[in-house]
Amino acid sequence: MVGLSEGEKHFIRGGIAQDLRADGRTKLQFRPVTVETGVIPQANGSARVRLGATEVIASVKAELGKPTVLHPDKGKVSIYVDCSPTAAPIFEGRGSEDLSAELSVALQRCLLGGKSGAGAAIDLSSLIVLEGKACWDLYIDGLVVSSDGNLLDALAAAIKVALSDTGIPKVNVSLNAETDGEPEVDVSDEEFLQFDTSSVPVIVTLTKVGKHYIVDATSEEESQMSSAVSVSVNRRGQICGLTKRGGAGLDPTVIFDMISVAKHVSQRFISLLDSEIAAAEAVMDE
Amino acid sequence: MEYVNPLTGFRVDGRRPNEMRQLKGEVGVVSRADGSALFEMGNTRVIAAVYGPREVQNRSQQVNSKEALVRCEYRMAEFSTGDRRRKPKGDRRSTEISLVIRQTMEASILTHLMPHSQIDIFVQVLQADGGTRSACINAATLALADAGIPMRDIVTSCSAGYLCSSPLLDLNYIEDSAGGPDVTVGILAKMDKVTLLQMDAKLPMDTFETVMELAIEGCKAIATYIREILLENTKQLEYRRG
Amino acid sequence: MKNQFRTDRLESKPKPRSSSTLLNPCSSSPPPPPPFCRRRRSALFTLPAAARLRAVDLANMLQSKSFVKKTKQGRVVKVVREHYLRDDIPCGAASCSSCDTAARRLGVDAAAILVVDTNVVLHQIDLLENPAIEDVVVLSVVLDEVKNKNLSVYNRIKTLCTNTARRFFVFTNEHHRDTYVKEMVGESPNDRNDRAIRVAARWYQSHLGESAKVMLITNDRDNKRKATEEGLNAETVESYVRSLAQPGLLDLVVVPSSGDVTMEDVEDLRPSKRKVIYSEHKPMSEITSGLRCGIFHQGKLRVNRYNPFEAYVGSESIGDEIIIRGRSNMNRAFDGDIVAVELLPQDQWNESKSFIADDDEDDNEEDVHLVPNSADDAPRNTNSTQSTVESSAASVSSRPVGRIVGIIKRNWNSYCGSLEPMPMPAGSGGVAHALFVSKDRRIPKIRIQTRQLGNLLNKRIVVAVDSWDVLSRYPSGHYVRTIGDIGDKETETEVVLIENDINTRPFSTQVLACLPPLPWSLSPDDLANPNRQDLRHVRVFSVDPPGCRDIDDALHCTPLPNGNFEVGVHIADVTNFVLPGTPLDEEASQRATSVYLVGQRIDMLPKPLTEDVCSLRADVERLAFSVIWEMTPDADIISSRYTKSVIKSCAAMSYVEAQARMDDSRLVDPLTVDLRNLNSLAKIMRNRRCERGALTLASAEVKFEIDSETHDPLDIGIYQIREANQMIEEFMLAANVSVAEKILKHYPLCSLLRRHPSPTKEMLEPLLRTASSVGLNLDVSSSKALADSLDNAKRDDPYFNKLIRILATRCMTQAVYFCSGDLSLSEYYHYGLASALYTHFTSPIRRYADVVVHRLLAAALDIAKLPPVFQDGPQLTGIADNLNYRHRNAQMASRASVELHTLIYFRTRPVDTEARIVKIKANGFIVFVPKFGIEGPIYLTAKGDKGADWVVDEVHQKVTKPGANISYAVLQSVMIHMEVVEPQPHRPKLQLTLL
Repeated sequence: MVGLSEGEKHFIRGGIAQDLRADGRTKLQFRPVTVETGVIPQANGSARVRLGATEVIASVKAELGKPTVLHPDKGKVSIYVDCSPTAAPIFEGRGSEDLSAELSVALQRCLLGGKSGAGAAIDLSSLIVLEGKACWDLYIDGLVVSSDGNLLDALAAAIKVALSDTGIPKVNVSLNAETDGEPEVDVSDEEFLQFDTSSVPVIVTLTKVGKHYIVDATSEEESQMSSAVSVSVNRRGQICGLTKRGGAGLDPTVIFDMISVAKHVSQRFISLLDSEIAAAEAVMDE
Repeated sequence: MEYVNPLTGFRVDGRRPNEMRQLKGEVGVVSRADGSALFEMGNTRVIAAVYGPREVQNRSQQVNSKEALVRCEYRMAEFSTGDRRRKPKGDRRSTEISLVIRQTMEASILTHLMPHSQIDIFVQVLQADGGTRSACINAATLALADAGIPMRDIVTSCSAGYLCSSPLLDLNYIEDSAGGPDVTVGILAKMDKVTLLQMDAKLPMDTFETVMELAIEGCKAIATYIREILLENTKQLEYRRG
Repeated sequence: MKNQFRTDRLESKPKPRSSSTLLNPCSSSPPPPPPFCRRRRSALFTLPAAARLRAVDLANMLQSKSFVKKTKQGRVVKVVREHYLRDDIPCGAASCSSCDTAARRLGVDAAAILVVDTNVVLHQIDLLENPAIEDVVVLSVVLDEVKNKNLSVYNRIKTLCTNTARRFFVFTNEHHRDTYVKEMVGESPNDRNDRAIRVAARWYQSHLGESAKVMLITNDRDNKRKATEEGLNAETVESYVRSLAQPGLLDLVVVPSSGDVTMEDVEDLRPSKRKVIYSEHKPMSEITSGLRCGIFHQGKLRVNRYNPFEAYVGSESIGDEIIIRGRSNMNRAFDGDIVAVELLPQDQWNESKSFIADDDEDDNEEDVHLVPNSADDAPRNTNSTQSTVESSAASVSSRPVGRIVGIIKRNWNSYCGSLEPMPMPAGSGGVAHALFVSKDRRIPKIRIQTRQLGNLLNKRIVVAVDSWDVLSRYPSGHYVRTIGDIGDKETETEVVLIENDINTRPFSTQVLACLPPLPWSLSPDDLANPNRQDLRHVRVFSVDPPGCRDIDDALHCTPLPNGNFEVGVHIADVTNFVLPGTPLDEEASQRATSVYLVGQRIDMLPKPLTEDVCSLRADVERLAFSVIWEMTPDADIISSRYTKSVIKSCAAMSYVEAQARMDDSRLVDPLTVDLRNLNSLAKIMRNRRCERGALTLASAEVKFEIDSETHDPLDIGIYQIREANQMIEEFMLAANVSVAEKILKHYPLCSLLRRHPSPTKEMLEPLLRTASSVGLNLDVSSSKALADSLDNAKRDDPYFNKLIRILATRCMTQAVYFCSGDLSLSEYYHYGLASALYTHFTSPIRRYADVVVHRLLAAALDIAKLPPVFQDGPQLTGIADNLNYRHRNAQMASRASVELHTLIYFRTRPVDTEARIVKIKANGFIVFVPKFGIEGPIYLTAKGDKGADWVVDEVHQKVTKPGANISYAVLQSVMIHMEVVEPQPHRPKLQLTLL
């Protein structure tokens, strides 16, 4: 990326201080959001989200697998993010590994809850096919196509929409006398198991530049940040995860303040996304 | 399996043996890149982004400083194939295709006009349904044109095969996995020169000539289509300029 | 089984459901972001010579189909496919003015254009093949469904559609823009297909307008109702056939078998029990899981030809054959079905003997038949069925026994036979239920309905099987056609041909068009061909059976100055006229061999080729493919070369003629000298072969002398083998071996060779048992050992040696063709000839294998290019399999024809003659009649009598009547009487009785 000159940096910081950012937004305003579902027909569910110039694609694929011994009544979900070099040349080769890992872990923490599976956004027990023998493994893949800041929010939104679009085929399991053999699984074409994504949280990242924090930073603004807090909030206003990035230390009161702002902003974001999802479903049905 | 129905002459998806899949191309999909394009051939969907010409990042890679360094990376998304791929980058096939694309595009870019610089071509496959190599080259051509990098000619590519005793144009994944020969051809459209020729499996010589000619015809048709897209893109730019 | 493709659930390609919303609209609104797919160029690029863009800019020309599939590994995969819609698909009607004229198939003044649905095609295929049904539109959705359900019916409908003489048109409704139907939510795949059929029929009606009447033929009540509601003409099969007013056709209509209560009328005279006779077949899912866990075993059912209630299933999972005994254990399976078998508990493995005491087990006896030439022809006997109770200790069945629990793949065909005699039903014209008895004993009786019982009672007819449910003792089928009267030579010959799947139809015009212009003569181009050597100056001659007109081999033997001989074998150059890929080649490949019946020959190639153009007749110039050796007088091959050539045969002799010339010491002309030289070389070669271990087995082949007018047999006798026969045979063998070596060297992976698997210990057991009972010790460790033992098997009885050789013959396996890439080098061995490599090269006029080998040799010599079929391994294996299948069938047909003529011969000539006992049984023994080359059973006790008087000694192979002091031992000579009797009217058979 081309570096910023002093003048530009000053301009950005000044603008934020005066609640008028470089592209005309206020501090707590999101860029125009575009959402599409079903972009990857081969996947069970997929979505494409554009936040301004940031573009990400999320896909959900379901495969049959065996549940772990520890949790024989739960399915498995894994989230993996990949940054395509089309987004930025530094993502070439292994350059994207750090960022991808960071994003993947952050998303996992927000969406999947703790180690025991408590507080997960998706009800894992709904993924079970035959207790102890067969369950669905969900593989959620995110791909960053174009990067202009605020990747985490876009990815979380994409995953939420993709999950709403996901249809898991209905399975008929036929048991036979053998207990240790593979159960015969018959897949029917009539789907589905649709997820209830109303409890899937979104992530709102608040970036602190100078003394103010902004929502949905572009990459230029992100280059000026001192620290950033990503808060994952679900529809009921509960906080599902919290990540702080950046070197500068923050006063705890500032953090509380940021969290409440995030809650407030996220409600609007969630309702926006939900209406998008509903609109998409309506189009599907007709 | 009957890849070409003997009673009707149609292929599995309803095309005739000498018909291509539906093409779709779009320029300027990644705004941050210098040039980018999306290209679809049937269900194969590919995004190409070009960054450059810019400063050489790694001096050691540069062989000839009087010419631009062209680098290419090919990546497939995990969800691009029917089975989820566990290792989307760094495997041998991706390395080979990256090399192939690089060599093909290098033949066309006027590298001597941009010394001491490098041009990066990144190709990301979103959906793979046969013919990914060709789609990538076509997308790269569009992206390079969008980036304004000087080229000798448009490079287009198409694949053809031979199943059930008839040459088939533009194989999709099922036809590709049938085990028959698969000929991929890349040409410089106006100059009528072949820059890429790959084949796997066996084919007798005269049949090979027929199949290769069919692929070249396909390339020329794609070239016409690409020119149309670029023309319309230019018109749009002109319109926006006012 | 697995990998079942679910019928597609179609959804249109995802349209962008985008919307751009701003949270708080700013003053300067950025331009609306472009949706993901904006520029839809729905163009199908058709490319003739010039690349043309045909942009049909209509929405939705590309649909996408997606469905969920389960892979072999058990993973669930979502599959997405493209589905293009077109608007350039012709309708095929001659009366249509708007569609492409080249595709017209349906008749101009057709009374009605029929659209058939899937079940009609599946069940009524015999009716559709009848020429009375014309102007049928077969939709692609119907074809796909038929293909998935029944491949043989699919092949038949495909043949119908490609046959230009019949007016069947295939309409690709799935890809036509107006008739494409998308699956609705909650609609089953079958409903969707039915709807597609109705939509297509309606489109046809509206497309053709007044010019034709379109009718939907379906037996499905629901479909018919909906069609009539939508304004279509719809009829069931039966009502349509009735409307055609052809009474004979109605018989072909298969009545759906649901709830046919009146079936029992023809049952036995027992009170109708209506009990479930057979156990239900297990559902497919249970079978697949059972197969996986190993409780069930899969294999192909082979019914014992001589005991139809005994069958074998070769199972790979067990490694042995599973025996199935008894009607209920066979559970409605047919010979050739792929079945799933469950093993019975081990203690029941021997008990099955008692089950044979079932009712209705008639016809367990053997018939008089020709001497078997190999183990395949010989009757199979399991260890315990034939011996008496006392000798049960000798044979404990170690083979697993099981019962059939399900049928994985049916092998139902049409069968020849006749109706069981029955009284005419009261009141003619009604529907009668009759039982059809197939000529092939392996097929159970089939129940059919017919309106023309009187016509059919004494005729040979063809019947096809439809169904077999658990309540019915016999399967149900329907009549297909009549062949002719029983006992009539023509009819019986045709039955033989049908049963052995031999194509007797005349060559089509397309095939005849491939022949060179006749009369053919040598052209300067042939001579100028550098690959063709001019050998017209060489003294070439041929020796063949008398009256032979298709001469495919000729020889020459020229003494060289250095004392060696130049010996050449010239084979008719058939591949010069039969070019790969032509209709002539396809037809020959299908027929695979000429079939020799008594007094009749069914040719593989058209007569002009076999008897004139390719045949190496005397005094005419002909093209040939030659193998030329330089040999020392001790028959050592110094060099060999192969070339195409032009020859002019100077003499076409018969074996008798050639032998006479050689024997007449007064003759010293060059031709006779050549013959004698060849003969001495041949003798040396033969000795050498025998030393290596080649087997000389006695042939019991029989020759008929046929009356030229009535075509009835005048005389019957054993085929005489003379020195001349052996001479020619020797050189043909040498040529075949040389060519095999050459082609294998050049094409190790795709050569067509011939092998003879060594017989196993089990197969040789009957021979060893018989031999040991007369005190003869045979060494069967290798073919050489066996050959030596056979040579040393001499007794006072001059016929003894020949008898032993005949017994040895029936233990041998058949030689088969195979593709060299399919087996390893050690498996190429030919046991009978004791040769590491062998192929067929010398008779291309009557065998397709030789044509293939000619092509391989030509390619090996760089004379011609190897046709692309050789690159395709599976296709080549398929060709080899077809060759074996046809060869086998041709042999069986020949034998059946000989048996038929034997019957005719003996019908007017009862005779007394000598016979030899070859096998002892509980109630009698089997004798071999040397004079006529046949063998058959002699019964010591009447049928039905359990034979308590006679005692069988297994060890000494003799049967004695204690008290009366009469005994018969194996290989003993007896006098018998042979006569044709008719135990049932029109069912003549040859009977042998002791004198």
